[in-house]
Amino acid sequence: MGIQREQPDLLESSGGRIHLDPLCSRRQTLKWGGLSIIGLSMLGPVLARGETAPLIIMEKAGGLVVADTALCVGCGRCELACTEFNDGRASPSLSRIKVDRNLNFGPAGAPAWREGEGNWGDGLIVQDLCKQCPHPVPCADMCPEDAIVLAPGTGARVVNLEKCTGCKDCLKACPWEMISFDTEANKATKCHLCGGKPKCVEACPAGALSYVVWQDLTEKVPARIDAAALPLERSRSCTSCHVPGQRATLREGFRAASGVKWIDLAGSILIPVAAIFVVIHGMLHRAVKR
Amino acid sequence: MKRVYLHPLPLRIWHWLNALIVIFLLATGIQFRMPGIAALWSHNPLLAWHKWAGLAMTASWIFWVIYGLATRHFVRHYTFRRRDFERMVEQARFYLFLIFRGEKNPFHPSPEEKLNALQKLAYGSVMGIVTPVMVATGLIYTSGFRIGGTLLPFDTIKTIDALHVAGFYLFALFLMVHVYMATLSPTLFTHIKGMIVGYEEHPEEEPGEAVPEAAATSEAKNTNQ
Repeated sequence: MGIQREQPDLLESSGGRIHLDPLCSRRQTLKWGGLSIIGLSMLGPVLARGETAPLIIMEKAGGLVVADTALCVGCGRCELACTEFNDGRASPSLSRIKVDRNLNFGPAGAPAWREGEGNWGDGLIVQDLCKQCPHPVPCADMCPEDAIVLAPGTGARVVNLEKCTGCKDCLKACPWEMISFDTEANKATKCHLCGGKPKCVEACPAGALSYVVWQDLTEKVPARIDAAALPLERSRSCTSCHVPGQRATLREGFRAASGVKWIDLAGSILIPVAAIFVVIHGMLHRAVKR
Repeated sequence: MKRVYLHPLPLRIWHWLNALIVIFLLATGIQFRMPGIAALWSHNPLLAWHKWAGLAMTASWIFWVIYGLATRHFVRHYTFRRRDFERMVEQARFYLFLIFRGEKNPFHPSPEEKLNALQKLAYGSVMGIVTPVMVATGLIYTSGFRIGGTLLPFDTIKTIDALHVAGFYLFALFLMVHVYMATLSPTLFTHIKGMIVGYEEHPEEEPGEAVPEAAATSEAKNTNQ
């Protein structure tokens, strides 16, 4: 009897109306299934932050070109030597070494790191070259084609011309504005230390330029690329090495602390002592209340 | 139980906003000084937020001064009277020793005088010295250590830096002690609740205990004068 009585219900339910009260109707399945697929696929880039492409850290270059501002006469022969050797033409605007006067023209004021007295700059002749940043390499990190690579031998960071598409992202990334752009070839180009014998150094008549072994000059590097400006997949990678609160990081932080150190010493004694006092006071007070 | 109306609404709003600003400034500030402690975010936006919060602090301090002067808040609650020296010692003795014997706080806040002598000293120096120094040095930071277009000498910059950092430690100290002592009320949350709703509830005093003492101090004061 029971079977016979149930059968009409089942028939009825299969024909049109559904009152089985299922977990999920077909429409709901499609709706939520579709939405969750879309949702999960949108999560992809978020989950991929800092995972797919680690921050580029390169070995130190073997050396770099440094300039003595006091000796430089601003003749610009280094710029000519650079472009003649590398590009086969005289084109100072393309030169990897950039010699000019520190004059702050334009509404944006001084470019990048340059600061002089007053609005006009100090007017000194400055010589700028790629600093061969060790860590992270802003231009290489920013390059969407991974076209900035380590040159064997000198350890300089060079543009792989086959990969470079001329998007100029590296020009924006370099805090020193040291990447040149060859408009004829539509390629970025930068100092590659001429295989260890920089032509600018050889050409300098005043002896202002010299090629020296690497010394850590990066302490003076201005604020590098903002993490928000990095490609998504690279922006979280700093924390994968510099774990917050790690002992080494802590020590580094203390060392990096600027200004008067005794004040930190006093503070780091005062605050824990006060904290201990407060805790003891609180415990005693509680004990007495009981 | 008697209810005492201690904190007017504008002052309550100011107090909690100011608390938020101070905590935010401390939390961001410590990361410039000791970046290893909490590298939660990249450096650049933090600096901007610290600056904006600093400007909010400036506005907050100016509000406190104007409010205090306009409503006679300073005159009523912050005037340091001669007997306050004795009361300060008394208050300190209470917090250091007598509180452990289960004795009652010798000071009873009233709408006429809501701060005890130690509070006058602490709040007065935090709001009257530390905060203005922090605001002033912070504004010099914001100007890039330039006053009238000329860069300050390096030693001056170091001094300003030291003052700002010293202010940080004093603020941290004050915050810690302030929060702890706020819980040293008849119940744990009397003072904190009072700072939210304005009224504080105090257990009724036994007349034999409190009144003669107050009378005695006022008599002593009269004879002094």
